[in-house]
Amino acid sequence: MSCPFEEDLTAYVDGELPSARRAEVEAHLGGCAGCHGTEALLRRTVARMAELPEYTPSPAMRREVLAKLDALPPSLGERLRALLKASVLVPAAGLAAVAGLALYTAAPNEPILEVADAGTLELAMNLEVVEDYDVVGLENGEDLEVIANLHELEVR
Amino acid sequence: MMLRVAAGDRRAFALLFDRHHASVARFALRFVGDRERAEELTQDIFVKLYRNAKSYKPAAKFKTFLFRVATNHCLNEVRRGEYRVEHTSTEVEADEGGLEVAGGEGDRPDQALAGRELERAVGEALKAMSERERAAFTMCRFEGMAYRDIAEALEASEAAVKSLIHRATLAVARKVEELQTGSVPARSRA
Repeated sequence: MSCPFEEDLTAYVDGELPSARRAEVEAHLGGCAGCHGTEALLRRTVARMAELPEYTPSPAMRREVLAKLDALPPSLGERLRALLKASVLVPAAGLAAVAGLALYTAAPNEPILEVADAGTLELAMNLEVVEDYDVVGLENGEDLEVIANLHELEVR
Repeated sequence: MMLRVAAGDRRAFALLFDRHHASVARFALRFVGDRERAEELTQDIFVKLYRNAKSYKPAAKFKTFLFRVATNHCLNEVRRGEYRVEHTSTEVEADEGGLEVAGGEGDRPDQALAGRELERAVGEALKAMSERERAAFTMCRFEGMAYRDIAEALEASEAAVKSLIHRATLAVARKVEELQTGSVPARSRA
């Protein structure tokens, strides 16, 4: 059966015990041959870790990690920052300002169509005919009547 | 620095990488026992660090935060079965130049051989222990981290970490003794 102090021996070697417990372990080591031997073994082992071969990571690793970061999809923050860049933001704001100004100045003078006015609706539906009359220079009602009865003239 | 990384500053990230990647790579190597896999894990850990930089609280030590990310990543990868713990190819890696004996070119060949034998003994002990023992031992012995910081990285109590490190160190000690008993004359074992 192991000694109840054994569990604390590595922490003792590492200097990780609180001072009161450290003093207890020190006092115990003087009278316990088993713990004394284990403590010496642990101390030798810890010291030998410095003799282990050193590992040097590949110098290519840095380049590979940075390449992986470049391949990552942009985060929401990065996308927002790209949108808020001055080169995009300034022209966009200017365009918005011009559009806003145009709407503000044009809107009050625009004639409002009275949908209840049947004559206006009929005019709108036959606008291309009115434009044709304008082209040939017809203005008075008699001329229009002649055109309306052209088919009778052709029979005669 | 991490706040700059969280804001997407790649140069700050590169500085952090330069400062800490060797520690993470060493940890991963001790964890999986294979150089190539350790480097893949290290890359993944740093990409994860970059993506999760916003979750870093400046109150925590950066190294503790980094090793929490590293430990969780290594544990998850090993548990998913993507990486088996090797610790068998260290001798070959040493011959390929992956591992250099501490002390540099001036060392004697018998010292280099002793270093490799020690590496093999430690590797075998690491392979036989639990993942949490391995993680705690590696952070303590190779990174010099305090028990309190290891406890934070492992999300465990300090008492639990003390126990993990004790069992792991004892296991390594017995393996190293076993090696010495088998290959070194008794007179040098005083």
